[in-house]
Amino acid sequence: MTEISTLEPWKDSAQRPYIEIKNVTKKFGDFSAIDNLSLNIYKNEFFSLLGPSGCGKTTLLRILAGFEKPTEGSILLDGEDISQVPPHLRPINMMFQSYALFPHMSVEKNIAFGLKQDKLPANEIKDRVDEMLELVQLTELAKRKPNQLSGGQSQRVALARSLAKRPKLLLLDEPLGALDKRLREQTQFELMNIQEKLGVTFVIVTHDQEEAMTVSSRIGLMDAGHLTQVATPTEIYEAPVNRDVADFIGDVNFLEGTFKGNDNIGTQLDSDDAKCIVYATQATDVDIGRKLWFAIRPEKLEISKKKPDFENNVLKGRIEDISYVGCMSTYHVKLDNGKVLKACRANRERSAEHHLTWEDEVYLHWLPHSAIVLQS
Amino acid sequence: MTRLTLFNKTSLILGFAFLYIPIIILIVFSFNESKLVTVWGGFSTKWYGELMSNQGIKDAAWVTLKVAFTSSTIATFLGTIAGLVMAKFGRFRGRTLFSGMIYAPMVMPEVIIGLSLLLMFVALSIDRGVMTVTLAHITFSMCYVAVVVQSRMSSYDDSINEAALDLGCTPFKTFILITLPIIMPAVISGWLLSFTLSLDDLVIASFTSGPGSTTLPMKIYSMVRLGVTPEINAVSTILVGLVALGVVAGSFIGKKQKIN
Amino acid sequence: MKNLRKIINGRAAVIGIPYLWLLALFFFPFLIVLKISFAEPIIAIPPYTSLLEWGDSFWPTIKASLDSYLFLLDDSLYINAYLSSLKIATISTLIALVIGYAIAYSIAKAPTRWRGILLMLVILPFWTSFLIRVYAWIGILKTEGLLNLLLISLGVIDKPLTIMNTDLAVYIGIVYSYLPFMILPLYANLEKMDFSLLEAAADLGCRPFKAFWTVTIPLSLPGILAGCFLVFIPAVGEFVIPDLLGGTQTLMIGKVLWMEFFSNRDWPVASAVAIILLAILVVPIMYYQKSQEKAIS
Repeated sequence: MTEISTLEPWKDSAQRPYIEIKNVTKKFGDFSAIDNLSLNIYKNEFFSLLGPSGCGKTTLLRILAGFEKPTEGSILLDGEDISQVPPHLRPINMMFQSYALFPHMSVEKNIAFGLKQDKLPANEIKDRVDEMLELVQLTELAKRKPNQLSGGQSQRVALARSLAKRPKLLLLDEPLGALDKRLREQTQFELMNIQEKLGVTFVIVTHDQEEAMTVSSRIGLMDAGHLTQVATPTEIYEAPVNRDVADFIGDVNFLEGTFKGNDNIGTQLDSDDAKCIVYATQATDVDIGRKLWFAIRPEKLEISKKKPDFENNVLKGRIEDISYVGCMSTYHVKLDNGKVLKACRANRERSAEHHLTWEDEVYLHWLPHSAIVLQS
Repeated sequence: MTRLTLFNKTSLILGFAFLYIPIIILIVFSFNESKLVTVWGGFSTKWYGELMSNQGIKDAAWVTLKVAFTSSTIATFLGTIAGLVMAKFGRFRGRTLFSGMIYAPMVMPEVIIGLSLLLMFVALSIDRGVMTVTLAHITFSMCYVAVVVQSRMSSYDDSINEAALDLGCTPFKTFILITLPIIMPAVISGWLLSFTLSLDDLVIASFTSGPGSTTLPMKIYSMVRLGVTPEINAVSTILVGLVALGVVAGSFIGKKQKIN
Repeated sequence: MKNLRKIINGRAAVIGIPYLWLLALFFFPFLIVLKISFAEPIIAIPPYTSLLEWGDSFWPTIKASLDSYLFLLDDSLYINAYLSSLKIATISTLIALVIGYAIAYSIAKAPTRWRGILLMLVILPFWTSFLIRVYAWIGILKTEGLLNLLLISLGVIDKPLTIMNTDLAVYIGIVYSYLPFMILPLYANLEKMDFSLLEAAADLGCRPFKAFWTVTIPLSLPGILAGCFLVFIPAVGEFVIPDLLGGTQTLMIGKVLWMEFFSNRDWPVASAVAIILLAILVVPIMYYQKSQEKAIS
């Protein structure tokens, strides 16, 4: 029991949250960037705020850092209200999207800056700076100036600088946004290792869903100043709360229809798109005749030339487009009524013989537990 | 990169000839033995010697340096603040008037500025002298500093200041430790600009100066009105040399800052 | 933007220091000029009547006089001086534009490593004394000056040309003195220009000169306007150049104002001259301010 609660503290009501964001609203003039938002984040979490640009995620981060004051509501850190504490007095540090390295100071001076503000003794500062340089593997670049560093090196200096003061909470604003794809993937794992090693709580803002899925313990999905869903990456992907969430994370097919009732399989949907009754395992508790959607991920749609041996959830169509990305192919299958569904298949064989091609007549099938029932 | 056409080369050569030949001629004739500025009578530095014994010019030069140094220093202080306000303070009441007062003095005819300042000094019965000239020079120089600092600040990444605050630095210390060192090249070039503007000014100084505060340009102007002499060429050469030195030093500082 | 506000404490104080300075030493003086332009000249110190008179009643009586303005309208000298200033400034600005555009365009097309030096060479004269640069032309332009000596020795002319003390000398002086002000904004604009646009135009069948006229010129319009204002506005009120290079018949309002003030000691008329000059220039000045602010931010 204890083990579960340290891994997933949000499921244990006895756990006290480390950061409590209580009914926070932030207005810029008439515009509400954050609208009555509440969120609990627990110690040692790697929490991601994910959303399209302009959804308020950066504003929320800046409220946590103290650069913006909430119009309403309060922020508690370790039980203490910090809403009115100015940024330079908060035990919170931030890593900036632009890195914001001081251009006139060397790498080590940048890292030492925060420690000097705390008036630590010189030898202690030196030890801490060395430790940080080692952590981010930049010991030999200590004397360089920021304009002599590559993007990846600057990113590490920014990280080291923000970690040097051992903050209770580290905020990261699009920390990997400026790196190229390969470096970004590598750095994601480094970030996770560092976070685990130092045991600092991380809150990261990103618009990159893959990044959020990879690094986070939980993701807070934001849209227009609201949190639409707060859950683990798996839950967000496999059990999105609505079509917007399902569509934002990964690829998805929607089948629209009306609720026919529950039977021994589960939810029965009279689908206008499929022109038949389709099934999902999960039972639904709404009025019969109400509009519902099934969300089915493309990798959960099986595609074959041969009619599968199933009675239900089998649709027939024709391949209209194929996007081949090497490891897998995505087939755009047009149903008889014109609706296009996407199905992916891993390319497990090199030979082209088993490949499907344009204009092939194919069958699509999914298991009832692969479909997600959505009410909105 | 596109190649320079014949037209491009010709316009550069003619253009720079137009800009520089008068100054070169002026310098050359300051070393003329003859009293006639247009007839070459052999090389001589006698006009520089003559200059050294001209008490009027030396006094004027001293006044000018005092005024230029004081006014450019105060103008840099005020102008830097004004530039910061213009670039980073967003909207505030009276901003339009403020930016009007920053930009207008740079293009407004000097006779108007000079006249208005003089009339104010008279109306308030302030005695004209070195102080009034200095006040006048501060006023128009600070506008140039403000614009130089403003254009530097508008490309300044605010998150650098936020990073300093975030790391526990107080707002005032952030300005001193972070902002000021970063914009220093702009502040220095603002100071140099103010200094040379003050060194050059004839019209505003003529309106606002009083007895005993004749500046070098005023002195040169009165000499020019009496006729062209190699002595004026000699003063001019020294001034041009000083300014050229300052500009080269200034750009050197700028380059060094950039490398660092 | 909002963040620096919080960094500097006492926002009002920070704004207040330069603001009050400019109000006291730039704005307030204009109010005094305005006031004096409605006064009457007297032989006294200061040489004008006061606008407000405190009589027996609590409120002062306002003694505003339009005499100075009527005087300006009455004497054709002033109207001619304004018109002549505008004419000289316009022509000089156009000449400076043509020369400046050629130079700025050529610098913008020069190899990158050259541009810095060329630009520096443009800026250098701008830092050297205005008065000295005008003075340098006297030796060149006067009857027994270097230009005439050169032309005669080359056999181009027999008798020396009279350039000095004419409007032509004033044009040369203004163009020469203000040329860097024209080149700098033009260059700043042309430097950012994508010259592949010209190649695109050529590719689409446009001849080089026409491409220049239909692509480059319209795109550099902001630079052209900034440069022209930067030359035109101060040139209208120019004093030193017409005084040293122009002749007795060269009428410019800056010179008239100077004479009115220093020689005739008629302060109300000088003030009225300044107010009308300002009224003429206020629209271009405001336009210039707007465009500069936009360019910076």
